[in-house]
Amino acid sequence: MLCEKCGKNHATTHIKSVVNGVVREINLCGICAAEQGLGGFAQTGLAGMLASMLGDVAATGLSDGKRRCTVCGSAFSDIATTGKVGCAECYNTFKSELLPYLKRVHGATTHSGKIPNRAPLAVIPEEDSIDNLKLELNRLVSEEKYEQAAVIRDKIRKLEGEKNEQ
Amino acid sequence: MSNNNFNLPDYDIAASTRIRLARNLSGIPFPSKMSPDLLEDLKQRVKSAISDSNTPFAKSLKFIDMKDVPKIELGAMVERHIISPEFASKPEGRAIILSNDESISIMIGEEDHIRIQVILSGFQLEKAYDIAERIDTLLCDKLSFAFDNELGFLTECPTNLGTGLRASVMLHLPLCESSGEIKELRENINKIGFTVRGIYGEGTNSAASLYQISNQITLGISEKNAIDNLKIIASGLIEKERTLRSSLDITKASDTVFRALGTLKGCRILNSGEMMSLLSMIKLGVSLGIIKTEIDAFNILIENQKYMLMRKYGEISPDERDIKRADAIREVFKEICI
Repeated sequence: MLCEKCGKNHATTHIKSVVNGVVREINLCGICAAEQGLGGFAQTGLAGMLASMLGDVAATGLSDGKRRCTVCGSAFSDIATTGKVGCAECYNTFKSELLPYLKRVHGATTHSGKIPNRAPLAVIPEEDSIDNLKLELNRLVSEEKYEQAAVIRDKIRKLEGEKNEQ
Repeated sequence: MSNNNFNLPDYDIAASTRIRLARNLSGIPFPSKMSPDLLEDLKQRVKSAISDSNTPFAKSLKFIDMKDVPKIELGAMVERHIISPEFASKPEGRAIILSNDESISIMIGEEDHIRIQVILSGFQLEKAYDIAERIDTLLCDKLSFAFDNELGFLTECPTNLGTGLRASVMLHLPLCESSGEIKELRENINKIGFTVRGIYGEGTNSAASLYQISNQITLGISEKNAIDNLKIIASGLIEKERTLRSSLDITKASDTVFRALGTLKGCRILNSGEMMSLLSMIKLGVSLGIIKTEIDAFNILIENQKYMLMRKYGEISPDERDIKRADAIREVFKEICI
């Protein structure tokens, strides 16, 4: 099958979209797919789905439609339309509307994982860690500072030697 | 990505590993609602946070204002997976902080204020996360991140809420593809909070039999658990692909691989789609030992994409590009005997 955009190359990419229940399908070659912004690692595709789910809340009148976020001025209808939140404060302002849908998307509503500013500072790389020295070595080589690079290289060899002896 | 990639974990099947952490600063709107002045201020705050940390690591990073990057280079950065297509589409008000080897990129002003991305060749989830986590901690120490005790890190799209972590592994799965394994996976993987996409992203089929497997759920599951689960799924696929490869009829496989090689050695016009299919066969041939070469098909595939070629030869037409691509590919494979 030929690409439906350029009509020249073989179609290698099949795109199916559902917007308000209307299904659209298009077959593109790799080049046209990339030109459509479909290159590289994927963006999340849940935003559109979320927008339609949140649109349901706005339509059912669960949100009063008058409240606005004090930081960015967003109304809940703005979030429902785009599937995107205006600012961090919006999560506080519209929490009751958002929670049931976060539950549907994530299956949970309580964070589990890293908490900022409580992580031990020790995880910041030590200046003389092998990984850091390798980064420094790369930088010096790219700047053609070979004498300084040689010093760092010797340091790495020494540290790797000590590590192997342990 | 260096020529030593062949020694990397599972590089016969795992092309690359990517970790992305989404972070936002508290007290200001998310980027889509920010004024140019606020975006400029954001860029400077993140830049200072890195440079003020005064570590050798910080010195190895360079700051690039996207408004100074030519269009062709923007496209080439997308093809090298340094930035997202969305980020390249609106360079104004945006910047990246990039490591020399391009494995670390910090996008400023994308969908979220900060997107820390680490891409490593091969299957290296823990190492990639470890690097991303260190950068996150370093930034966290200097900037006030938007965080809610119940909802975790707050993001513009609620699908990233919680850890803000997207972990992906790009796998080369030609045999799983032809056996129908991928179709089955696509139908079931969502149920366990993961997704499989083609190389061009959401809802697309794969080119070059490359598939990226990523976590979808970010709220209620820790970074470690999300990564461990992805590791189990990707390892299972790698093993399945290897099993299928081991039962291949070697004569038939050699025929397919050498026909692909013959085309690459002799082509005069080569479009991107055909190149990707043929390189997929070469990659398979190398991993099966049918072709002995140090040539890295994954790298060749990236180096000969549209903008990567235009970066080298200027703004040439699609027809000229296909000729230049064929020239470059013939040169790469000229030493290999059939």
